[in-house]
Amino acid sequence: MTLQDLILTLSRFWSERGCLIQQPLDVEVGAGTMHPETFLRVLGPRHWSVAYVQPSRRPADGRFGENPNRLFKHHQFQVILKPSPDGAQRIYLDSLEACGIDPTRHDVRFEEDNWESPTLGAWGIGWQVLLDGLEITQFTYFQQAGGIDLAPISVELTYGLERIAMHLQGVDDVYDLQWAPGVSYGEVRHREEVEQSKYAFGEVDLPAGEFGRAHRDLFDRYYELAERLLASGLTLPALDHTLKCSHAFNLLDASGSIGVTERAAYILRVRKLAVAIAEAHVAWERDHHAAGEGAVATADGQARVDPGAERTAAGQAGGA
Amino acid sequence: MAFRELLVEVGCEEMPAGWIPGLEVQLAERLAARLAEARIAARTPIRAFVGPRRLVATVAELADRQSDLEETITGPPVRAAFDAEGEPTRAALGFARKQGVDVSALARVVTPKGEYLACHRRLAGRTTRSLLGGVLAATLRALSFPKAMRWDATLDDGRGEFLFGRPVRWLVFLFGGRVVPFAIGRTPGAAATGVAPIRSGDTTCGHRFFARDGGPGQPIEVTSFADYRQRLARAYVLIDRGERRARVTRKLDACARRVGGTVAPIETQSDLAREVPDLVEYPSVVTGTFPHEFLELPDEVLSTTMVHHQHYFPVVDAGGELLPHFLAVTNTPRDNVARIARNAERVLVARLRDARFFWDADRALRLEDRLDRLDTLLFHKRLGSYRAKSERTADLAERIAGETLGRPAAAGAARRAGALSKADLATDMVGEFPELQGIMGGVYARGEGEPERVWKAIYHHYLPVGVRPGDPPSRDELGAAAVTWAAVSIADKLDTVVGLFGAGEKPTGSRDPLGIRRQAQGMLRILIDLPELTGLKARATIGSLLAMGRGTHAELAAEGAGRMAAFLLERLRYLLEERGFDLRNVRAVTHQPLDEIRPLDARRKLEVLPALTETSDFRTLAALFKRVKNIARELSAAEAFDAPFEALLTEPAERALLAEVERRRTVIDRAVERGSGFREAFGAAAKIGPAVDRFFTEVFVMADDPQLRHARLRLMKQVEQLILQLADVSEIVPEA
Repeated sequence: MTLQDLILTLSRFWSERGCLIQQPLDVEVGAGTMHPETFLRVLGPRHWSVAYVQPSRRPADGRFGENPNRLFKHHQFQVILKPSPDGAQRIYLDSLEACGIDPTRHDVRFEEDNWESPTLGAWGIGWQVLLDGLEITQFTYFQQAGGIDLAPISVELTYGLERIAMHLQGVDDVYDLQWAPGVSYGEVRHREEVEQSKYAFGEVDLPAGEFGRAHRDLFDRYYELAERLLASGLTLPALDHTLKCSHAFNLLDASGSIGVTERAAYILRVRKLAVAIAEAHVAWERDHHAAGEGAVATADGQARVDPGAERTAAGQAGGA
Repeated sequence: MAFRELLVEVGCEEMPAGWIPGLEVQLAERLAARLAEARIAARTPIRAFVGPRRLVATVAELADRQSDLEETITGPPVRAAFDAEGEPTRAALGFARKQGVDVSALARVVTPKGEYLACHRRLAGRTTRSLLGGVLAATLRALSFPKAMRWDATLDDGRGEFLFGRPVRWLVFLFGGRVVPFAIGRTPGAAATGVAPIRSGDTTCGHRFFARDGGPGQPIEVTSFADYRQRLARAYVLIDRGERRARVTRKLDACARRVGGTVAPIETQSDLAREVPDLVEYPSVVTGTFPHEFLELPDEVLSTTMVHHQHYFPVVDAGGELLPHFLAVTNTPRDNVARIARNAERVLVARLRDARFFWDADRALRLEDRLDRLDTLLFHKRLGSYRAKSERTADLAERIAGETLGRPAAAGAARRAGALSKADLATDMVGEFPELQGIMGGVYARGEGEPERVWKAIYHHYLPVGVRPGDPPSRDELGAAAVTWAAVSIADKLDTVVGLFGAGEKPTGSRDPLGIRRQAQGMLRILIDLPELTGLKARATIGSLLAMGRGTHAELAAEGAGRMAAFLLERLRYLLEERGFDLRNVRAVTHQPLDEIRPLDARRKLEVLPALTETSDFRTLAALFKRVKNIARELSAAEAFDAPFEALLTEPAERALLAEVERRRTVIDRAVERGSGFREAFGAAAKIGPAVDRFFTEVFVMADDPQLRHARLRLMKQVEQLILQLADVSEIVPEA
């Protein structure tokens, strides 16, 4: 199964189970969780089910295209089910079977691995799913986002697409993966890995210290802008710029430009924004989705997906 | 009364392995307590079994009725219950009405306060079946988890939302083979297709993938515990942890033997062996192999990769050398499924390949040449980089070896080890495997030809972490590096504690993000166990170390000095209490200012104290010592010894006390000076007790004659000072 077949298979699978198929966020992020389709949708009472691919940048994991397993940018297939159905584990395992992984021929395990994002003020309870010792998915019941207790509880499934594809194709080097028939992952992405790694680790023609300074400066500007946007009631643009702060911070961290305690201070600043954004979003939802306002939910496209629509209706009843 | 079998199974999603042993104990205890509260008698023990996907409890013979309750409700006093004509008063009538009986049916009871009207009632027990739902709800509520989760669940017990360790997915609840109705509800906000209450039934689930009965995911009907256990075993679920553990051990041994080795007996592995049987419902083992070339990696790296990252067991040959094999415990019916082994090998080899890349890259640069890189790694914004920290650690280690530990010959090596102790933070290997910090520094130093007293000091300098006697490192492991290790380990921790306190970072309540408590405890533990860890006899005071630490943080030292002293004293007491010493005794032997507290002496005193505190002489002394201190407070310590005063004391009781003090002084002084012979010293101190008692009975200290009064006060002062050298025994006043 090629990488693109894997994406198509998972998209089809989750679409058939009532998920809206969304698109990646067009801002640099470290994980699919930061997408508003996860970070904001898990807040508040409204039911929502969605799936999307999220290219995820982790500057510190850049290996100049030389490591067969480690990437500056990898791809997550992200699924949010809100509320979490009782059969979440079973449905997830069915999705593996849909991809050609027969659990009875392997050792598939759910091992404790709670997830936490200090910058998003978010955490959850869950597992890493291991396939013969290979971590292929993070399975999390969200408990808090933006410092707010969640109700109902959402389940987040984060599939590591490259890893699963490597397993399916039996290759040991990510660059040997078949992205499409006859087109390798290396052909598609190797150059990007090399250049982005050089950038991430500060191999840039700049005077000493300038790289760090430039990114601190970016961080501060994005931060101020995010604060202004939030004050203007523009929650989604404020989130975009908070995520830009987060990415600038990751670049500073990877290039060794910040110390341990300074690091903690940066994380705290981003978290402060994330918490304020979450609160603003919850307030907006409360104002715009009062009980009986079914039209709003229909207008944003959710009613086209049958089981999702049912959930939406129930959610409004619950939130009333 | 008839007895029937109770069977409860709470089917859940995978519970963390580390919680399972504790949950099993809790489940049995909590259920027993709730049954007792409900007055439901169990004629056989309550048994609990916990595995990754189920919490099971059963009682073979449980009474089918609650025991009856007989109670007596007391009403008004008889004298207030009837008026002069003998007619019931309003009080009596009201009480009778409330109890639903006629006044004539009321009884009388005699209490110390007089005679009262009373109503005897006998409450017939209800059926167990009608009570079991409440018992289960209360039991589930009473289970505590290291981290409970919200999952949109509720219990109908008036308390609303129901948090649990992981979501519950099914419930078996049988009493006498019949289902007891029970449900875990769901919050209204989560109501949707696919979110439903969990109702009790008589069906369980087998292994997630391999159930033979009915196939995976199909319900298995059960009628009794024996039936349940047997059917689950056929569905590849072993509910008994002991059985799973035995199976793991047996299979690991067999698989290791097949490749000509044994399971590696390394320390960390015992945790793995404890955890693995709780990760699976039906353990099997696969043997994997990795290419020989990776055996060039240090054992520490190989083991960390296998044990910590993959939960695999390393295999060693007869000589204890690692073999290119590993054993993985799987949750499958069959051993050695080739497909699983190949996949496990691929995962491990990918990690080992990374490790080898780091190993080769790291060795291209000597540790010493990495010190420059440490400049860019900030330890703390007010304490500078890790390079600055290494330099302070080197200075301190040199002085601690020479002065505190009395081994000037080791000072140079201690300095060297201190200087290199943090260099591995700049290596790729530690970047990838942070848990190998220190260890990799030691391994690289060994490779660069540093002597054992240097490389092993680096290797172990983050230890001790555990505070119990016998926690690592052992003296054998330390070998020739025992002294240099102690010096570097103390130096590193001292620098951290003094520095961070000076910088305003201090642990508060449950918050200690920088781990200052653990650092302080590590340092104190070395002092407490110095002879066992190093063979040295030094009895350093905490104060002398602090003075050194403050020297290296001159600019910050003034800030927080008082708080730090209180903090260290509290840590020392915590450590001693953790060893099972009585808190009162601990306080007694740590009453001095930090400058005078020698942790090793404190421990030795505590080891002999319990045997003495029961003797009557000691109890006499302890009981009177507070009074001695109160009286002695009238004089400063210096005044107690300024001029001869003995001639003024003429009363027999004061002569006797004086003689007793003089007789016992040598033994006590000698013990305090040498740090040994505390048993004799406390024995000697106790002997003074009866003389003090007699003194207080026969002599009035505050005599009118000022000279005589002064002489008596000085006698009290001497008694006080003599005893206080050992302990403030007034802390040990025995319970009456």
